[in-house]
Amino acid sequence: MSILDYKEGTVNLLMGNEAISRGALEAGVRVVAGYPGTPSSEIIENLAKVADKSGIYVEWSVNEKVSLEVAAAGSFAGLRSMCVMKQNGVNVASDFLLHLALSGTRGGMVLVPCDDPGAISSVNEGESRHFARMLELPLIEPGDFQEARDMIKWAFELSEKIHNVVVMRSVTRLSHASGNVKVGALPVNENKAYFSFGSHLLDPLNGPVITAPVPMRHRQQQDKLKVIAEIFETSEFNKYTGPEKPELLIITSSACNLYSMEAVNILGLDKRVGILKLGTTYPLPEKLVKKHVDAAGAVLFVEEVLPFIEDLTRIAAAAWGDVAHKQYHGKYDGSIPTVNELNPDIIINALAKITGIEYRAVSEEYEKKGTILSFTGAPNRELTFCPGCPHRASYWSIHNALSLNGKGGFVCGDIGCYTMGILGAGFGAIKTAHAMGSGTGVASGFGKLGQFGMEQKAVAVCGDSTFFHAVMPALVNAVHVQSDMMLVVFDNRGTAMTGFQPHPGTENDAMGNVVNAIDIESICRAIGADVHVADPFDLAATTEKVLDLVENKSGARVLIMKQSCALSPEKKGKKKYEMSVDESKCRGENCGCNRFCTKVFRCPGLVWNRDKGVSMIDSVICAGCGVCHGICPAGAITREEARV
Amino acid sequence: MQVFGPKELQSDVLQKNLCAGCGACVSLCPYFKTHKGRTAAMFQCTRESGRCNAYCPKTGVDLDRLSATVFNGTYAGDAIGNFKAVYVSQKGSSAGNGNVQNGGTVSALMQFALKSGAVDSAVLTGRKGAVSVPEIVTDPGKVFSYASSKYSTSPVVAGFNKAAAEGYAKIGFVGTPCAVTAMAKIRSNPTELADFSDKTGIVVGLFCTWALDTWGVEKTLKDKLDLASLQRVDIPPPPADVMTFTNIHKDVMLPLDEIRASIPLACAYCHDMTAEFADISVGALEIDGGKNRNVIIIRTDRGEKLYKDAVAAGYITGEPLPAGVMDGLSKASMNKKIRAFTRLSDEKMLNGDAERPAVIINAPALGKIMNSKGGM
Repeated sequence: MSILDYKEGTVNLLMGNEAISRGALEAGVRVVAGYPGTPSSEIIENLAKVADKSGIYVEWSVNEKVSLEVAAAGSFAGLRSMCVMKQNGVNVASDFLLHLALSGTRGGMVLVPCDDPGAISSVNEGESRHFARMLELPLIEPGDFQEARDMIKWAFELSEKIHNVVVMRSVTRLSHASGNVKVGALPVNENKAYFSFGSHLLDPLNGPVITAPVPMRHRQQQDKLKVIAEIFETSEFNKYTGPEKPELLIITSSACNLYSMEAVNILGLDKRVGILKLGTTYPLPEKLVKKHVDAAGAVLFVEEVLPFIEDLTRIAAAAWGDVAHKQYHGKYDGSIPTVNELNPDIIINALAKITGIEYRAVSEEYEKKGTILSFTGAPNRELTFCPGCPHRASYWSIHNALSLNGKGGFVCGDIGCYTMGILGAGFGAIKTAHAMGSGTGVASGFGKLGQFGMEQKAVAVCGDSTFFHAVMPALVNAVHVQSDMMLVVFDNRGTAMTGFQPHPGTENDAMGNVVNAIDIESICRAIGADVHVADPFDLAATTEKVLDLVENKSGARVLIMKQSCALSPEKKGKKKYEMSVDESKCRGENCGCNRFCTKVFRCPGLVWNRDKGVSMIDSVICAGCGVCHGICPAGAITREEARV
Repeated sequence: MQVFGPKELQSDVLQKNLCAGCGACVSLCPYFKTHKGRTAAMFQCTRESGRCNAYCPKTGVDLDRLSATVFNGTYAGDAIGNFKAVYVSQKGSSAGNGNVQNGGTVSALMQFALKSGAVDSAVLTGRKGAVSVPEIVTDPGKVFSYASSKYSTSPVVAGFNKAAAEGYAKIGFVGTPCAVTAMAKIRSNPTELADFSDKTGIVVGLFCTWALDTWGVEKTLKDKLDLASLQRVDIPPPPADVMTFTNIHKDVMLPLDEIRASIPLACAYCHDMTAEFADISVGALEIDGGKNRNVIIIRTDRGEKLYKDAVAAGYITGEPLPAGVMDGLSKASMNKKIRAFTRLSDEKMLNGDAERPAVIINAPALGKIMNSKGGM
């Protein structure tokens, strides 16, 4: 089933990201680009699947900045275009976005960042909302699944009205949850791509697209924003529900709208508390907000992470005279936390406190029992790599080489499944982890600290997709300054963590076409690094290689670990080996082993049989990679070539 | 005696830099490995007791227990340990030739032991550049290629552990006093293994005042000598006060003071110069300014038998000790004991002073050592 299959006028259960994809198609989007990142990835995947049939162009770009540039080209040529990324992708794209906001666009162009409050699938909880304000771009936020479809269509119209980028922000609980969505008709697109630049420099629609003269363009941009502010005042996506004169007015947006509705409902406060759900959050529809604040006794701002609507409202309220004299609850009085995701419970507690209601979801005794049971009754399941994952094997060799070297060497991590190298899954090898590409940059810096007596070896790791995304400049830097560092590229042939999207090193593009695959090894050699290749599944040879590179080589060296992801299409469901444990040889908990495979190596495919006191293979989840054969000190883990 | 585990081994020995790199804890399990003469803890094992700790010569060394194991007696605190006889020796006419350091006695003795069947294998120390590497040798013809002192810490006990695991049952072992102490601990079956058997055929100890850390040697000689082809390391007789490193192209002399910086801290706590828990101990004998002969100490019955057989077969020679040699040897050995026991005592690592003592020594023996003032 694809997003093309929903019939016009029918109501369907759609994931938020599907609703956005479908809405974009209905709006006649022609060029779509992005970089994978949870919770945004499905938007592009849905569109890529139907690209051929719909005659649109869909691209997984090398990084977010380039994806925004690709989408902008579509807009410059008069087509509707969309760019999709996760929240921190906006940081990467922000340099171009700053300039694009000034130069303006032609065909409708929408940027869809999907934020991850609480960092469920991220290593930060940055917010894209603040970019809209900082770069003076209109920001809209769907408050439910229907709106996800409806507002993306509207976003393209808005963009064409002001000839600038419109930001439509989603969050995890909107992108990844599902709800009823009534879909509309799919258009027939016929306009031809043409970049019109023949007019003079100051003609924003037919001249060259540039940011100069800056003060003039900046003024035009701000004038456009005033137009948008007026449109927002009467937008149907700003909705109020509740009594005419509520005791308390909740002002909220996005998924927090759903939490707020649930909280009011559970506390039975619908006669006392009203909810102003804003679909248009920047610029703030000040008159609308003022009207509702005026009617209310007090105000509670419900939004995730930092105050945004709250700040804009408080600033606006400075000019409201008496209307402003209300009790404001939100981030500043501690009613709503400034970190992590919100949920209905947090809002229930805030509402209960403000309205003086006694509320307990469960009895004290039940809660206590539940807390105890959740700590003692549930098995400890830590984040780990899949059975057959090459990262476990790679980290094994890196960890062992650094331990043998014995000089406190460490790994500078990067962004991907392998970020889990900071946990037991990667034998705790990672000691720094920040943004994409940063591991290599940081290692480049560590590698210059020898003159200050540093003997520890810095080993950066990155995935193949991350290599192209942001590692290349850092490696160039390391080679150029002759940093004494080592980069290990975990080349598992795809952007594995986000669902195996293609990247410049793969032979296929997002739409399934055969394209040019860029060879990482050749790039590294061209940069001038000392380049080596290893198969991480060959533990002994790889450990020796890492150790040799760490100990005996200087300058920037690169080791490419080549082994496909266990979930890659070529491997999924196919076992290379049938694994088994020779119980007569297994040393179990005895001195000489002490459950080495299940306590230290810890592939989920290895299971401790408590009754027999031996290890065994969980043949259902074992991927048959054969690696554990090489770690058993007793030679009890045996492998046989699997019959095809 | 309570046997502790890997956690205590790390805190008491490795983290305090007291590891001698002998390899006693290596090749038993996947948690400890050896690399370039140093022992590395790869992962944290959670066992409360283990052979790693039980075999380590730097913790829980109960001298009475080891004396009982090897000599069936208590530890007496004598200068050069328990012995039956002491001779001057060198390799005899039946033995092979090779790059021997002094008299070639050890190589000749091991060659004979293999040839005569006194041992089924020999764990010897070879050289890979500046790194000492233990190897299991079964061909008597190859013994002499392992000749010459290495002067760098060797994980030779790991080689023994490996040989034992591979099924050798009469293993010939050559090692420095720390390694020989580890061997005595292994032979005392400290973890009370049900299927235990002593897998040594003969234990030959090498006199030692200190060894060198490979990493330190590499660092010191980095720009002076290509160590990949290192062939020989020697200390010429006094008053030279230097150490020479020779590779296939040239040799480099370094003042002893400079090279002493690479002596592992563990050596400062060592009270054993003559490898007292060996069957036979061998050291260099400097006569007339040359070093072409050895002192050989016969300690046990099986040591005595091997010595006599080897002499009879012409593999080694045996002559009476010249006057004064015993006195000098005893003095040097006792001085090492006094230095070590003073340090162990000052740092509360002895007997009941420590929760987990490094060494346990009976009071009369300790009194004898500390009152000896460096003589007999």
